[in-house]
Amino acid sequence: MGTTRTIKNKHAANGSGIKGSKASKNGPVNDGVIKAKKNAGTRAPIPGSGVKGRPNLADILKKRKKRVYSEKELGLPQLNMVTPVGVQKPRGKKKGKVFVDDRESMATILAIVQAEKDGQIESKMIKARQMEEIREARRAEADKKESERKAKLEETKDSLRKKRKRPRAGGKTQDDDVNGFEAVKALAAEGTKAAKPKKKRVSFAAD
Amino acid sequence: MRPLTEPETKVVFDKLANYCTDLKSLIAPLDDGDRYVFRLNHSRVYYVRLSIANLATSISRDALLSLGTCLGKMTKTGKFRLHITALPILAEHARHKIWIKENGAQPFLYGSNVAKAHVGRWSEDCPEHSGCVVYSMADIPLGFGVTARSTAEARRLDPTGIVCFRQSDCGEYLRDEDTLFAG
Repeated sequence: MGTTRTIKNKHAANGSGIKGSKASKNGPVNDGVIKAKKNAGTRAPIPGSGVKGRPNLADILKKRKKRVYSEKELGLPQLNMVTPVGVQKPRGKKKGKVFVDDRESMATILAIVQAEKDGQIESKMIKARQMEEIREARRAEADKKESERKAKLEETKDSLRKKRKRPRAGGKTQDDDVNGFEAVKALAAEGTKAAKPKKKRVSFAAD
Repeated sequence: MRPLTEPETKVVFDKLANYCTDLKSLIAPLDDGDRYVFRLNHSRVYYVRLSIANLATSISRDALLSLGTCLGKMTKTGKFRLHITALPILAEHARHKIWIKENGAQPFLYGSNVAKAHVGRWSEDCPEHSGCVVYSMADIPLGFGVTARSTAEARRLDPTGIVCFRQSDCGEYLRDEDTLFAG
């Protein structure tokens, strides 16, 4: 302990000595001498002061030494070792768990949790509504497409039926234009047989 | 027995808020000046009157089996699991409700999820995956669970489709008799 103190004193004295040297006339040479005397103990300052014949300087130095000691004690770590973060204990903090037992702190936690939860549920509801709207729109669109498709199908069916009816009623001339004699033959067959020609008519319409 | 720490309190309230709307009434002061507090013993959380909790301090931790209403259990990972014993508190302040018909009560009490065919009625505007309390048609709370579908979606569901995932039901009083209160 004693040695560490002296070493730190040296460093502290250096700093303070330099500052002092600026103020004093002699400069750093005197400071170096004085440091060496510090280590030696009480004997050193007496001859130094005797040689120079200036008791005031020695007194000032002594005062400075005292200041350095006080700085040391302010909270520098005593051992120059690395301490892991987990091992360092927080000063002035209570050890152990912090319980929540008073109504105020409980109410604040509750209010925070409740607000958080309400927000979550609200956003969930909004999301669900939006999704529902989108689904409805899609369904409506699909229905519309379906109905359109059906209408188109009906239309084509109707058109086909009309086409089929033409040769029956009075569209002979048109058919003649297309197929000529074959159509006439078919019509003739229709006139004689009621059941059979239907099939033929279908095949003919497909052509 | 000890009060809950801050993170524990948060976790407990967070879980309760899934099922309850009004949590403030849980810790509101009573007419006689007393109030309800949360206490932890053997990783179980109890909801108990402060006066009773203070009396219970005279009993050692090991000797104290239960006090007040057991809300649930703190898991070792720090989560909180509600027990069926918390049902009276949840039922009182329920956020969403599902009423099930007579024919669905027994399957539910035997531990199965709630099918759409068994639902008598449900509260409107209920989003999916939110906590709900299950009642019989006579308004008797039978358990609680988590909704599988939102109300709108559930309407289009086929009768065998699951509407609510069971979390806890009254049948646990018998099924989990050994572990419900101790161990």
